[in-house]
Amino acid sequence: MNRRDYLRTATALGLASGVAGCAGVLDSDGNPDVTLPEPDREVGSEDLPYPAWGQQVPDVTLPAPRADRTVELRAVDEPSVLTFFYSHCNTVCPVLISTMRNVHTHSLNNDYADEVTFLPTTFDPQRDDAERLGTYADEMNVDPDAENWQFLRPESRDRAKSVVQEQFGVAFDRTEPEEMDMYMFTHSALTFLVNADGYVERAYRSKSPDAERIIDDLDTVRS
Amino acid sequence: MNRRRFLTAAGGLGLTGASAWVLRNGLGSDADSAFPMQVDTMDAPGSEAGRARVPASDTVTILDLFATWCSPCVEQMDALEAVRQSYGDDVTTISVTNERLGGSLTKSDVREWWRDNDGAWTLGLDPDSELMSALGAGGIPHVAVFDADGSIRWQETSLSDAETIGERVDAALDDA
Repeated sequence: MNRRDYLRTATALGLASGVAGCAGVLDSDGNPDVTLPEPDREVGSEDLPYPAWGQQVPDVTLPAPRADRTVELRAVDEPSVLTFFYSHCNTVCPVLISTMRNVHTHSLNNDYADEVTFLPTTFDPQRDDAERLGTYADEMNVDPDAENWQFLRPESRDRAKSVVQEQFGVAFDRTEPEEMDMYMFTHSALTFLVNADGYVERAYRSKSPDAERIIDDLDTVRS
Repeated sequence: MNRRRFLTAAGGLGLTGASAWVLRNGLGSDADSAFPMQVDTMDAPGSEAGRARVPASDTVTILDLFATWCSPCVEQMDALEAVRQSYGDDVTTISVTNERLGGSLTKSDVREWWRDNDGAWTLGLDPDSELMSALGAGGIPHVAVFDADGSIRWQETSLSDAETIGERVDAALDDA
């Protein structure tokens, strides 16, 4: 089974229990593609349902509608921070985005803004168009003049499923809450730190990732 | 945690935060041991620039974690003000934002938000999110009540109404 099929299976089942494996299948500490050491965990990266330490970021190109251009993730030539959200979300996403915003502002305040790119990616392209993303940036106090922050938007709902869920392992499903007059999503939370060569250094599996830890990890990856 | 549960948590919906909370908080003793902490405070209505101890010494403390982008945090301010009015000097109220100043967010913006929402107590800045980490807060608004001995008596990530906070303050005062 190739990696992509594996991810699809893992996502479809909602859990990844079917593959035998153990930690350290990769010869970890000698991995030349990454700077950070392998995270202390019970399984190897290849057994996780998302791109993890030492693996290449998915080979995708996504539109950055506010800049009217596209971003090829493997071709970004500085470290990047990615997360996945939708702007109508009231709970998890604002925390993910505000954490990213706090790291971003740290880069602006400490003169390394040109050494890191922030790529928050919506999985709700239906509502999150360029205008809406601009409003959202304003609400979240993201500096509108900063060039190293680009919202990415898959072209369609199908493309969002294929990229965000199947390739990045961020599962999401539409819900129709009774008390609301619009659709929402249940979704998992992941933030990625990718190095300048396009390899994942860290996947932070938290609804409230620690900005200081990302800043520290980013500092190591940049140097 | 066995392998299957680990992977379910990693790939499942909405479980990651809960496991992070457990990891960081354990049985709750770790959170207590992180306090007291010091935060920078800013000049704003009811607040002076300087440093503040969290929790305050010798009184019950209500700690409110907020951000200017957070709309429920606006509503939270009304509940905090109502509780503050009821208890007077028996309770110290401190609100802290973890937003890092810079980019398009200035101290004036935070002050303006504070003024617009009738803040009238100590306003702190925690750009490194140390309070959120210490409490294991998974989001905001997050309100915590400390007793006068500095122990965390209650905390919750959600909009908390004045009645709920008042009950927790009463409990903390009763044991003092």
